[in-house]
Amino acid sequence: MQFYISILTFTLISVIAVTGIYVLTGLTGMFSLGQAAFMAIGAYVSGFLVVKAGVPFVLAAIIAVVISVIVGYIVGLPTVRLRRDYISLVTLGFGEAITALLNQTQSITGGALGFSGIPKITTLPLALISAIVCIVLVSYLKNSKYGRQCIAARSDELAAKAMGINVPRIKMTAFLIAVAVTSYAGVLYAFFTTYVDPGIFGWKKSAEWVIMVFFGGVNSLTGSIFGTIILTALPEVLRFAADYRTVFYAVLVLLIINFKPTGLFGEYELSVGNLLRRLSGKKEERSNA
Amino acid sequence: MLEVRNVSKSFGGVKAIQDVSLTAKKGDIIGIIGPNGAGKTTLFNVISGIYTADKGSVILDGKDITKMEQYMITREGIGRTFQNIRLFRGLTVLENVMCAFDPLSRYSIIDGLLPTPRRLAEEKRGREICEHYLEVVGMLKYKNERPENLPYGLQRKLEIARALTCQPKVLLLDEPAAGLNPTEVMELTELISRLCEEIGFAILLIEHRLELVMGISHKIHVLNFGKPIAEGTPEEIKENPDVIKAYLGEEEAKC
Repeated sequence: MQFYISILTFTLISVIAVTGIYVLTGLTGMFSLGQAAFMAIGAYVSGFLVVKAGVPFVLAAIIAVVISVIVGYIVGLPTVRLRRDYISLVTLGFGEAITALLNQTQSITGGALGFSGIPKITTLPLALISAIVCIVLVSYLKNSKYGRQCIAARSDELAAKAMGINVPRIKMTAFLIAVAVTSYAGVLYAFFTTYVDPGIFGWKKSAEWVIMVFFGGVNSLTGSIFGTIILTALPEVLRFAADYRTVFYAVLVLLIINFKPTGLFGEYELSVGNLLRRLSGKKEERSNA
Repeated sequence: MLEVRNVSKSFGGVKAIQDVSLTAKKGDIIGIIGPNGAGKTTLFNVISGIYTADKGSVILDGKDITKMEQYMITREGIGRTFQNIRLFRGLTVLENVMCAFDPLSRYSIIDGLLPTPRRLAEEKRGREICEHYLEVVGMLKYKNERPENLPYGLQRKLEIARALTCQPKVLLLDEPAAGLNPTEVMELTELISRLCEEIGFAILLIEHRLELVMGISHKIHVLNFGKPIAEGTPEEIKENPDVIKAYLGEEEAKC
């Protein structure tokens, strides 16, 4: 039982991080290969504050997110004006720099040995509530003027500017929302595993999130979440076949990219309204036939 | 009022436009014609801020907008459409138009994350304005369609509706009739003159279909190889020997 609760909590933490990636990659079309570094900042800063400075958890979490956003702003300032492919390069470099920094500052962070002794505060209900709150906020964002402007900037930057949209600014907004959400996921992660080391926050983690978003459907929030749940939980459940896990994962991703390039969900959003419409639509079709 | 003063723009050694001047007052329809590669679209790109002029200036209502950022120029009151249609994929027809309203709508990022009363009110106001402009171009019934599924003529109209939503003082139409059939061209001609009367802005019109330009323009500028070669009323332009030469070639080319 403990095992499944643990998998579920990890999955929910991934879901939180991926809602951030969805805003960045799904809505705005920016690929970040260094997003996990912000998870690291969230994890280390909050852990450090609680363990070494005795700050209460909630305050530490808020400070960690604020610091991540400030760092994100500095990284974003030159980045958001760049072309998309360069954004990936800059964030990749930044992410690796953060990991290297954590490895080098052994006296403070514990270096490659990791930072341990963080109290276990994250529980399944906390992760669940956090995930729901993040999903709800992001889905409101998607339907707001910010969401529309993100999609417009992704679809045609020049035309977006010609409609009066301040493209660098909307990209920065999307980036900072993603950073805040990801670093919060980092906080939850640190206080769940009680131990963090720099290795888990490398570019592989960031790339994994991008894959999850594409797997589920880059244009669909619920699709991205669905993709995350499958791709996080499946390897854990398939632990008995540990040797073939990666093979299975790779095959699954290849199949999707080849046969359904827009992801499992495409642009479809799973919601009560859409479900009802789909059901009643089917009925109409039948009655017409 | 828009004033373009002696604007030049080069790309490397290519002088795309040289020393072009024009003025447009409220209610004017100004046609811009010339052979392919004459610099017509470059002129639009300079006015709307995609390029910055090397020399000369663009003045809108007494304000120098030459070196402003593109999105600020739009907010100052220059709306435009594109020669190759540039609608936003992934958004519906209504949402495409809403994008042009969004920079004008007033709610913060907090309202963006939650359904606050201010957000709901602003979204409603925006939707009404956008539906109004869709109605103006006769596209309200397609508002929930995806633009990429619509025929070419409707996509062109949607571009116009989107540009109108920016609430421009000057509207730049870059070949709005390209690829349209004769009926659609007639509808478009009628739409452009109606807009100009009802909304009362200035329209700059690039167009290859001479019957359209000659029919509705109050004044026409002719460009050739980036240089202005003539300006005047449609009648004057039709008679102008330089224009005839640019379009049809020299006298001896005739058989």
